[in-house]
Amino acid sequence: MSARTKLLIAVLFLVFLGGGLAWHKVVHLGIPFWRGESVQDWEIEAKVSFLGTGKRPKARLSLPAVAVDMNRGQEAGSLGYSFYTERNEGEYTAVWSGEERQGGQALYFRIRVPEGTSGGGEPIPGNPPEAVTPGFPSSLGDPARAVVGRIKTTTSDPDSLFVSVFQQISGEDAPQEILLLKRHYEKESREMAVLDMGIDLLNLAGVPARLAYGVRLEPDLGAQPPVPLLEYYDGAYWKVRNPMEPGQVLDGTGLYVWHRGGGPLLDVTGGENSRVVFTVAKEPVPLRTLTDLRDSPWMVSTILGLPLSERAVFRYIVLIPLGAFVVVLLRNIVGIPTLGTFMPVLIALALLEIPLARGLIMFSVLIGAGLWFRFLLSRLNLLVVPRVAACVVIVTLLMMLMSVIGYRMGMAGGVQITLFPMIILAWTIERMSLIWEEEGKRSAIIQVGGSLLVAVFAFFFMRIGQVQYWSFYFPELLLVLLAGILMIGRYTGYRLSELIRFKTFSDA
Amino acid sequence: MPDGDQTASDVGVKWWHRWFRTPGELRDLGVVGINMRNARFLLPNNPRRLYRLVDDKLQTKALAEAEGLSVPETFAVIRTPHDASRIERILDKRYSFVIKPSRGSGGKGVLVIDEREGDLFIKPSGAVLTRDEIRHHVSNILAGLFSLGGQRDCALVEYRVRPAKLLTDLSYQGAPDIRCVMLHGYPVMAMLRAATKESDGRANLHQGALGIGIDIATGVTVRAVHHGKPVTKHPDTGVDLIGIQMPEWNKILDIAVTCQEMTGLGYLGVDLMIDEEIGPLMIEVNARPGLAIQMANGIGLLRRLEPVVKQHKENPGAGHYEKIAFSKHHFAAKIRKATS
Repeated sequence: MSARTKLLIAVLFLVFLGGGLAWHKVVHLGIPFWRGESVQDWEIEAKVSFLGTGKRPKARLSLPAVAVDMNRGQEAGSLGYSFYTERNEGEYTAVWSGEERQGGQALYFRIRVPEGTSGGGEPIPGNPPEAVTPGFPSSLGDPARAVVGRIKTTTSDPDSLFVSVFQQISGEDAPQEILLLKRHYEKESREMAVLDMGIDLLNLAGVPARLAYGVRLEPDLGAQPPVPLLEYYDGAYWKVRNPMEPGQVLDGTGLYVWHRGGGPLLDVTGGENSRVVFTVAKEPVPLRTLTDLRDSPWMVSTILGLPLSERAVFRYIVLIPLGAFVVVLLRNIVGIPTLGTFMPVLIALALLEIPLARGLIMFSVLIGAGLWFRFLLSRLNLLVVPRVAACVVIVTLLMMLMSVIGYRMGMAGGVQITLFPMIILAWTIERMSLIWEEEGKRSAIIQVGGSLLVAVFAFFFMRIGQVQYWSFYFPELLLVLLAGILMIGRYTGYRLSELIRFKTFSDA
Repeated sequence: MPDGDQTASDVGVKWWHRWFRTPGELRDLGVVGINMRNARFLLPNNPRRLYRLVDDKLQTKALAEAEGLSVPETFAVIRTPHDASRIERILDKRYSFVIKPSRGSGGKGVLVIDEREGDLFIKPSGAVLTRDEIRHHVSNILAGLFSLGGQRDCALVEYRVRPAKLLTDLSYQGAPDIRCVMLHGYPVMAMLRAATKESDGRANLHQGALGIGIDIATGVTVRAVHHGKPVTKHPDTGVDLIGIQMPEWNKILDIAVTCQEMTGLGYLGVDLMIDEEIGPLMIEVNARPGLAIQMANGIGLLRRLEPVVKQHKENPGAGHYEKIAFSKHHFAAKIRKATS
């Protein structure tokens, strides 16, 4: 069998396998093929983790009642634990219990919330509770009463009282009494100081208040701790507001209220170091379909079977093959010279984290400055490895400098450089300076420019929403991409750049 | 449509030739692109395991010496930083030499010293290096700065070739070398690479060096290109480039074919230099020879490679001299066309 037929068979096999699996998922499992075809849900996942101490653990996680009542889809994940939901006076709690455990444990609870309809923070009617008068230390009782008295004279109802209290607490020119109280609370409860103080002041003013918790609806945050919120009683209803933005009614766009009712959010017995983190994702596929997918005999949905927090990583990882494909295309068919083969993919991945224009300017400035320092270093005749290390140090300092300058100039977003682009930068500078010395500045600039150009193409390709959707929900389509790469691997025609390179070719 | 513009050559001049050539035109000319070179000639004929023979110049030289080929004499091999620190003893009494990385490619990291004044070393361009600078260069080589993939390397200190007068005349500084491309042991194309002021003593065509095509049959230069455009005189010195007879051409072909036999590579380029006294010396073997040679000769490589593929299939057991005879017969330059 010639190499050609082998290739053809491999390509056909990959195309049929990948395409067939995708087709099966679309037709039989009902996953929409196009991104816009479905309603988007927020999927919120709570991950409870604790260390088993060898006892029988029992974990209780408070759940958002509105979402459970709506029954848009919910799911608990925990291997080897028995699980049930408990209902008590309109509040739901997830309860896990298991046998003796040692070491790290992780429990998951996932719910679905339709986008932009309910923030879980709607006023709920309730019986008037007793406003508990908080006990202040004697030295603080008078200032607290003075603050509350002053606020009360200017406000008419609990809502405006709430707003006023938190404006006073977080305002710039706070009166002396507030500063005094703040110092006390900061000593007592550290990061929860503002909330505790607010609760006490509200209670003192006769408005019952208690802690609530919410989740930020921002998928990019990754695993986030719960956001503390405040719930207060306005005479007929319990309302939730964010003390950081007291004037704003929670409408379900930025925050989802997960827990209210005053009880504990999480309670673990038989375990240590317990904590809960939330992961949020926009999910176009209905939960029921996802469940079907996980149970299907085809191993087609391994990514979707993972918990949200673990799955989030793959959103980036599945993009790497796409970037690699763009590189293959631009190098072997178009013929753009690049520094190293996959450097452009790495640059493109780095660019995904920073806004494009700013990222490119930053890259150019850093590479230019780094190169200059690198040439200064080369006068010292250093050995290779220390020189690369010196380059890394200089790039780090330059990045810090640029971040500070960017921040001073009011570009708040300009400072989001992570570890990853840094290493790429140092490496680019080192390689570019070598080529500069060996082959002249023209080659060096052409190659770095080519890398950036390819990176920008890869970036735009990886940014297309539909492409991201396909690679994440239909990873088997990567097999089709693989088939394409194999075909290019046997392309023996001219590169576009060669049409120009050989333009002066004439027969002798 | 400027269709009536037919010239003597079989391809008419079209408006787009100022910018590019169509794939069809290039195919008609038999031009080989990088993708075709890799997929059709490199990959099937050059097994990966043979690359180390030519990527490491120490091994190539050892092979060549075993075959009785003449190569530049190795004065010393520097393998460890300890050796590097004793460089003055190694360079003692050497007044001209070349230091090169054993695994370098494309002339990277090659340092040529022409003369010496006490502790100062003078490059052909006249630049002066101290002993410390030489030691630093050697430690860069050892650290793998110039080697493929950045692996640790060793440095060779070699005899500095004194190129024959005939050849130095063709070059602005730097020593010209001869590149011969072979397939299955048949020499298919040859060129001389000469430095210009622009190329700064280097023989890389894309840096502005001259590519001078050589007739396989006779060893006479037939055509020269500078940045892809045909020229007849050296841009810096004004010396005539066409019609120069390479000395000992048959020996050069002989060395090239022997290199193919000793390495077993199917498709390769052999680089040679001609020393005033010793004659042709094998400098290195390249398992990925570039495509500029077609520009220098004005002939698409495919026109030479296809007959060789056919010949090799029909006559797989052809001997050394049979191959040379075949190439000389089939690849002789046609009657030279006046280009100026």
